[in-house]
Amino acid sequence: MGLIEIAALLLGLLLVLLCFGIWIGLSLAMVGWFGLAFFGTSPPDKNLFTAFWNATASWELAALPMFIWMGEILFRTKLSDEMFEGLSPWLRRIPGRLLHVNILACGLFGSVSGSSAATTATVAKVALPELLRRGYDEKVAIGSLATAGGLGILIPPSITMVVYAVAADASIIRIFLAGFLPGFLLMGIFSIYIGVWAIRNPDKMPPIEPAMSFRQKIYASRRLIPVCLLIGFITWVLIAGIATATECAAYGVLGSLAIAWWSKMLTWENFWTGLMSSTRVSCMIMFILAGAKYLSLTMAFTGIPIALAEWVSSLNLSPYSLIMVLSVVYILLGTALDGISMIVLTAAVVLPMIKKAGFDLVWFGIFIVLMVEIAEITPPVGFNLFVLQNMTGKDSNTIARASIPFFFCLIACVIALTVFPEIVTWLPDFVMGKEQ
Amino acid sequence: MRKKLIRLFDFAGVLAALCVLAIFVVMIATTIMREIGVKTGGSDDVVAWLTASAAFLGLAATFRHGDFVRMSLITEKLSPAWKQRIEIFCLVVATAFTGYIAYSICRFVYESYEFNDYANGLVAIPLWIPQAPFAFGTILLFLAVADQTWHVISGFEPDYVVAVRERHARGDFSEDM
Repeated sequence: MGLIEIAALLLGLLLVLLCFGIWIGLSLAMVGWFGLAFFGTSPPDKNLFTAFWNATASWELAALPMFIWMGEILFRTKLSDEMFEGLSPWLRRIPGRLLHVNILACGLFGSVSGSSAATTATVAKVALPELLRRGYDEKVAIGSLATAGGLGILIPPSITMVVYAVAADASIIRIFLAGFLPGFLLMGIFSIYIGVWAIRNPDKMPPIEPAMSFRQKIYASRRLIPVCLLIGFITWVLIAGIATATECAAYGVLGSLAIAWWSKMLTWENFWTGLMSSTRVSCMIMFILAGAKYLSLTMAFTGIPIALAEWVSSLNLSPYSLIMVLSVVYILLGTALDGISMIVLTAAVVLPMIKKAGFDLVWFGIFIVLMVEIAEITPPVGFNLFVLQNMTGKDSNTIARASIPFFFCLIACVIALTVFPEIVTWLPDFVMGKEQ
Repeated sequence: MRKKLIRLFDFAGVLAALCVLAIFVVMIATTIMREIGVKTGGSDDVVAWLTASAAFLGLAATFRHGDFVRMSLITEKLSPAWKQRIEIFCLVVATAFTGYIAYSICRFVYESYEFNDYANGLVAIPLWIPQAPFAFGTILLFLAVADQTWHVISGFEPDYVVAVRERHARGDFSEDM
C-alpha cells in the first residue's frame, strides 16, 4: 500500500471511531496502535509506553493543571460582580454603552484566566442578567459574550497556548507574549462593531442612565483592584525573573487563593471541590495529549507528515493561500471538534507543513488560537455555545446565530494578523530578542 | 465488591488531586529556594513525575464523572435502543483497548524494575518508583471501563451520563472545557 492509501485508511478509521462516540483520547491511541501494528516496523506496545510516559511526565505540562485550577478558584469568587460594577460607570456615554462591559471584562478576566469557557461563564454569570434587566438587546449581549469569552485563551495565560507549545515544541513564554497585541486588536474590533451597531440601531438601545461624576466613577472602580492586583502580581513574578512561564502558573493559583480568601469565599469545601474538578479536567486533557503523542509517533514512523509537507510545498502555494486553505480546514474541523483535540489532532501533520512553508511557529500558535476561538462558537460543537446555552436556556443554534457578526470580527482579526504578522511577533522579539 | 472498586477509583482520584496540590507546593518552593540561593536541581523532575501521576491516577474517576470528551453528534439522534447498542459497542472496544494500554504500560514498567533502570536526571532513583502510579492508573482505568461495560450490558444507564446530567442540573459547567 502506498502512503496515500495508508493515510486515508488511518484518517477513515479515526473518523469512524469518533463518530461512534469512542472517547477522543482513546480513538487517537487506537489509530496510533493500528498504524504501528500493521504498517510499522517498531513494536506498538513499547511505543505506547514511551509515548504515554513522555507526553505526561513533562515539566512544561505541569502548567496545565495549575491554570485550570486557577480558573476554578476564580469562578467561585465575587470577581465577576466586581468587574461589572467597576467597569460599567465608565461606559455609560460611549456608543454601545454597557455592551462594552462584555468585551472589557472578558479581556480583563482573560489576562488571569487561561480558558475560554471559564471566561465566558465567569463574565456571563453577572453581566448577562444585568444587561438584560436594563433592556439591552439580547442578541448582541449573548453574541458578544460567546465570542469575547475566547479572549480567555488569546490573552495569556492560556491553556490552549500551553497545549500548542507542548505539541509544537515551541517556547511557552514567547507564545504568551505574542498573544497580547492580537488580544487588544480583537477587543478593539469587537468594540468598534458594537459601537457601530448601537449607532445604527438606536431603537434597540435602552434609555440612557444618569452619568456619574468623575469621583464617583473612580470610587466605583475600586472594585477592580483585586483583579488588577492579580494581573500585576503575575506579571511582576514573571518579569522579575522569580518564576518561569510554567512556574508563574503556580503563582496564579497562589494569587487566586489570596483573592478568594480576601473575599471570604475560601471555604474548605470550595477549595477541595475546585481542586478535584480541575484535576479531572486536567486528566481528560492530558489523556488526549497522551493519545495524540502516540498517534504522532505512528505518523512519524509511516512518514506521512513529511510526505504531505513535501506535497504541499511542491504545490507552490503562496503563504496567503496556504493560510486560507488551513483556515477553511480548521473552521470545518472546529464545527465538530473542541479546540484542544483540534490542535493535537492536526499538529503532527500541519506543523511540518508550516515549517517547510517558512512560517514562524509562534505566529502559527496565535493563528491556531484564533481558529480555536472560532471553533468554540461554531455549532454543532462549541463549548462557549454550550456554556451560554445552559446559562440562558436558549438553544445553542440561536446563540450561534447571535454570534455571526462577531465571527466575522474574528475573521477580520485573522486577516489582519496574516497581512501584518508583526502584530504577533513584535512583542516577543522586543522583549526576548529575535529567535535564532 | 463493586462498591469497593468505586471507592478505590475515587481514592485514586483524591491521590491525583493531591499530586496537583504537590505540583503547586513544589513549584512555589523551588522559586523561593532559588531566590535565597539554595540549589534546586531535580525539582523539575519531581514536578514532571507528579504531573504524570496526576494524569493517570485520576483517569478512572475522570471517566466515571463523564469528563472524557467524545463526539455525541450522531449518536444523539438515535433511538434509545440503538443508543444502548452503540454504547455497548463503544464500551466493549474501550475495555479491550484500555486493557491493552494497561498491559503494555505495566509490562515495560516491570521491565524497568527488573533491569533496575535509573532516572538519568538529577534525582537518581530507580525509574519504576515514579512510574508505579502511572501503571496503577492505567489498571484502574481498565477496571472502570470494564465495570461500566458490565453495568450497561445489565441494562443500566452509564454512570458517566448520569453524572453529567446531575452536574448540569445544578448549573455547574466548570468542567466543560
